[in-house]
Amino acid sequence: MAAVEMTGIEKAFGPSVALSDFSVSIESGELVCLLGPSGCGKTTALRILAGFERPDRGSVVVGGRDVSDDPPERRRFGMVFQDYSLFPNLTARQNIEFGLKVQKRPAAERTDVVDRMIAVTALDEHADKYPHQMSGGQKQRVALARAIATSPRVLLLDEPLSALDAKVRETLRDEIRRLQQEIGVTTVFVTHDQHEALAVSDRVGVMSNGRLEQLAPPRELYLNPANAFVAGFIGTVNRADAIGQADGRWRVLGRLLDGTHASHSGAEEVAAIRPEQVAVDLDGPGTVVSVSFLGPITRVIVDDPDAGHVIADLISADAADLRPGAAVRVRLRDDVDRVVLIGRRA
Amino acid sequence: MSSMAAGRRGSRVGSALRWVFLVVVGLFFAVPMLAMARFAFQNVPTALLTPDRLLTGWSASGLWTAATDPRVLSSTRTSLLLVVLAIALNLALLLPLAIVTEVRAPRLRPALTALTLLPWVIPPVALVVGVAATFRVAVPWFLASNLSLVPFYALWAMPFTYRVLDAGLQAIGARTLYEAARSMGASLWTVVFRVLLPNMRAAVVAAACLTAAMVLGEFAFASLLLKNTLPTVMVEYQRSDPRGGLALALFVMVLTALTLGTAVRMLRRRGMSISTTGM
Repeated sequence: MAAVEMTGIEKAFGPSVALSDFSVSIESGELVCLLGPSGCGKTTALRILAGFERPDRGSVVVGGRDVSDDPPERRRFGMVFQDYSLFPNLTARQNIEFGLKVQKRPAAERTDVVDRMIAVTALDEHADKYPHQMSGGQKQRVALARAIATSPRVLLLDEPLSALDAKVRETLRDEIRRLQQEIGVTTVFVTHDQHEALAVSDRVGVMSNGRLEQLAPPRELYLNPANAFVAGFIGTVNRADAIGQADGRWRVLGRLLDGTHASHSGAEEVAAIRPEQVAVDLDGPGTVVSVSFLGPITRVIVDDPDAGHVIADLISADAADLRPGAAVRVRLRDDVDRVVLIGRRA
Repeated sequence: MSSMAAGRRGSRVGSALRWVFLVVVGLFFAVPMLAMARFAFQNVPTALLTPDRLLTGWSASGLWTAATDPRVLSSTRTSLLLVVLAIALNLALLLPLAIVTEVRAPRLRPALTALTLLPWVIPPVALVVGVAATFRVAVPWFLASNLSLVPFYALWAMPFTYRVLDAGLQAIGARTLYEAARSMGASLWTVVFRVLLPNMRAAVVAAACLTAAMVLGEFAFASLLLKNTLPTVMVEYQRSDPRGGLALALFVMVLTALTLGTAVRMLRRRGMSISTTGM
């Protein structure tokens, strides 16, 4: 039985539809990310799950019980917000203890739990500080400790890393994943950052215009996007013409390959090619437009007379001879044996 | 280089203009006050005031006489009681309203903001006449009491106090604090008493100070309802003793300003900021 099941959720704010036939099933102990651009409905889905919004239609079932009509305080969830939402009048320790006090847990148990939370979130030095005396990363760690202190049935994270700088974001991201796996709490993580989503999730749900476009493990999402939107949203993608052959294979960038029919529309004429699937050979009809050194890889953009602008990510050592203006040929790497077809070229 | 020099010159001119503006505005307020203070505390007619007599004839006896006048003492007690009751009524009405609107019905905020401006749109005369006509018939004893001023004052201070409380709620991010506490199992009461109110002390004190300042200076309602409050008695007193009356007025003004200033400073020292955004 799934730990969380949202079925057929519909939600509109006046004329604007926030969620349309949204369904998701989350297993116990799983971390699912809802990923999508601003306004795609991911936060609305989280708020409906938390009980802060009521769906116009559909149901929310947690642990086999329909909680659609339960107010937030009865759901026993833990929630972490983008802006920390720590209580300014309480110290870190008191913030973490708040939920336990509300639940009227005995003092000894409260002290024990709070000490444990402070230890696992490495807040020992900051336990007696007020929120205004802490950095963003420390505040968010307190918020995380506060959310898990009450042993919630589900942990909800609403863009918890968005307000932090890149370095802290990365550290805290790994910390969240470590803690989640340690305590095994079912978690829903909302973010618009694909790197964050791919790095921490068991499964990622990509959303667009209030719909769940695809829910899959990060690797599958990247390698087998369900449609053009998912292909374009996760990572960088080249859209190359795919010409169908009599034997059922497809000709893409000069190679004959099997194709995965991602689209159900029956109009597969464009293949999604990831930049790392492209090889660049010297001498050819194409011209290098730009070369960007990105450390271990170098991103090369080639203007090809047949394929248009093609982005290629090459191992930096292999791209040393490439300069803007150089004559080159783009092709699929030899280890690519299959392409994902994502629809008709506009 | 020339553009940098021009920029520096421009900023110097801007700074000078700011100082000129500040001095002019300062004088606009300070000169009448100083003239008032001289008239109230120096017993030398203006026609006889020469540079060598600038420091002679100063006395606070007028103030002392005024301050110990039984009518003044009695009206001061009345005004202080009115201050306390107006603050209590004002906060009792507006604090729950502002909190519930912010956390449960944020869409009503613009309507409430407009609604709380109404007391300033309706002139005191219309308010008193309308309310008096109704209450004289329904509860005649109500208008006989000095305390009948309390609802008028609470209403009159509403545009200020609602904005201060609303700004306080916005400043602490009340809605997300409410949601964070609810998600941990807290009831609305727990959220209000253990999360929101402790973080709104500065706004509550600011609202109370503003109400106090307004009540201590309000004349129209008290005069129309024929009540003896400090402002109405001061006006009366001034007619019989202009020097003492002005000394008293100046004293009350300075005392009110000092009290409010001290309250704000104490809050700042305790790490709370007074916000009057939206006023």
